[in-house]
Amino acid sequence: MNMNTCVSGITSHSVKTTARPRNSLMDKLYLPAITGGVKVTFKHFFTNLKDINAMDTMQYPQEQPTDISSRYRGLHRLTHREDNSIACVACFMCSTACPSNCIFIEATERLDNIDEKMPQSFFIDTLECIFCGYCVEACPCDAIRMDTGIFSLTGNKREDFVMDKDTLLSHKGAYGEESSCAK
Amino acid sequence: MSTASIIVAIASFSLGTLLALLTIPVLVWLERRIAGLIQDRLGPNRTNIFGFRLGGLVQSFADVVKLLLKEEYYPSHIKNGRWLFMFAPIITFVAALLAFMAIPFADSIVINGEVLRVSPLPIDFGLFWYMAVSAMGVLGVIFGGWLSHNKYSLLGAARAGSMVISYELPLGLSILSLVITYDSIDFNAMVSYQSGTFFSFFPSWGILMQPLASIILIITLFAETNRNPFTVAEGESELVAGFMTEYTAMKFAMYFMGEYIAMNTASAVIITMIFGGYNLPYLSTTELLESFSIFSSTLMISIPLIAFIFVKWMRKNNRVRSTIKNDGGRAFETKVLTAVTVIMVILIESILFYLTYLSHDALFQNIAVTLFQIMIFVIKLMMFNIFFIIIRWTLPRFRYDQIQYIGWYYLIPLALLNLFITAIVVVGVS
Repeated sequence: MNMNTCVSGITSHSVKTTARPRNSLMDKLYLPAITGGVKVTFKHFFTNLKDINAMDTMQYPQEQPTDISSRYRGLHRLTHREDNSIACVACFMCSTACPSNCIFIEATERLDNIDEKMPQSFFIDTLECIFCGYCVEACPCDAIRMDTGIFSLTGNKREDFVMDKDTLLSHKGAYGEESSCAK
Repeated sequence: MSTASIIVAIASFSLGTLLALLTIPVLVWLERRIAGLIQDRLGPNRTNIFGFRLGGLVQSFADVVKLLLKEEYYPSHIKNGRWLFMFAPIITFVAALLAFMAIPFADSIVINGEVLRVSPLPIDFGLFWYMAVSAMGVLGVIFGGWLSHNKYSLLGAARAGSMVISYELPLGLSILSLVITYDSIDFNAMVSYQSGTFFSFFPSWGILMQPLASIILIITLFAETNRNPFTVAEGESELVAGFMTEYTAMKFAMYFMGEYIAMNTASAVIITMIFGGYNLPYLSTTELLESFSIFSSTLMISIPLIAFIFVKWMRKNNRVRSTIKNDGGRAFETKVLTAVTVIMVILIESILFYLTYLSHDALFQNIAVTLFQIMIFVIKLMMFNIFFIIIRWTLPRFRYDQIQYIGWYYLIPLALLNLFITAIVVVGVS
């Protein structure tokens, strides 16, 4: 069986032609449809003009959002252990997983016999960060979390947005456990 | 030249300039707030001076300051025609501004037997002036797009050129049939004609006497002002900003303001030509002057009613939700505005009372009627501007070939047909 027999099998009367819907006169006039559209917009306009405060708009700085849930990825924090020391072991898993390369860690030896390593410095450049949460998933020690519920971050210069270790440690978790759950 | 004629000329000139220029911030404010309300948003309502927001109107003045203080950037790749590049936005702006000047804001007032026109340009060929001057506006768009040496701008300019050949002919033809109906090219005579009735019942407004020509006029004037659904020259979804891509700061603002003045002018022409201009239906100027006491009594009853409704609406809406503690001075603003409204109502009431029952000076009654007509004109103007804005936030944009198709295949034949029928009827009647 070659191509030709296949094509010649289709005859003109075996093809079903479906009539495409034509535009009616009312459609071609445009004006009835425009009137319908204006009716919709005018209804919205007039209803909102009558009572502006009934609108479903959040008046943001005065009204804060109420739909921030425990799964919301807010600003990062570094967790503590039960004894209030830093949970991070400077394994670089988070900075490796980070797709925007915004986590900068310098490791140092830990001398208090709790663990072997800890970060000497831990920076997150939140201007680079895309808040994907991969660092949280990558962390084997539950040392980095994004459960602070902080959704707005302001500053006067670029340096204000680079979070250092102490700032990250000072953030409090808004949901769930306060300290690291790693064993 | 008498003193009265000079005073009327200066007053109407400054009124025309104010109506054209001072409506720009108002129109920008209306555009943004109405767009917000249509889309279930609030629109700009935060900017204030000492807590006075005026519903967000202050935002427009902040915008003006912003545009004035912006960096005046000049694209270095433009070598030739630099002066025309700078001049192009001015053409658009000035054309729209001058076209507005031929519109009558009230009927001619007769002072000591002298007939004085209440129009910035006291000419009796206003329609020709309008058509000649407003058609220049598109030249600024074409020059600006052409001289930007930018593919997007050039495409925008080309589209503007294609728009001209699609809408100018039906516009002229529809205006021609209206001219035949009114038997005049004087805007003021057109309005006087429309204050009468036909079939002894309907007000002889153009929209009722010439419905087809009126619809074509409205559609083509939408195209001439570059407003939606005909913003193809701007085309921000495919052409960045079209002809004004390379323009910054005040050069951009000239185009921006020119668009709003053009919209204002188009509204003024539409209401003058087909919506009875400064007159209410059934009420010509002579009727207003003859039955002045009835007219002023009606005003004296209706003005407090309107003010009452306005104050009630303001008290309900010029506040924040009850869950928010700090209202940012809105309560104080409402109090002050209420007081201002009440004082203004009392002032107007006392003036009307004096004119109706104490003084019977024909001159002051004349002036009162003129002021009333100006008020009607401004209200109609603003209503039509709001119509323009609502249309913008209702309709998507036509493709530029669709505009040509509509213009050449539908609007021109319809306008021609309408012209023939009008001519036959007018000849048959006379």
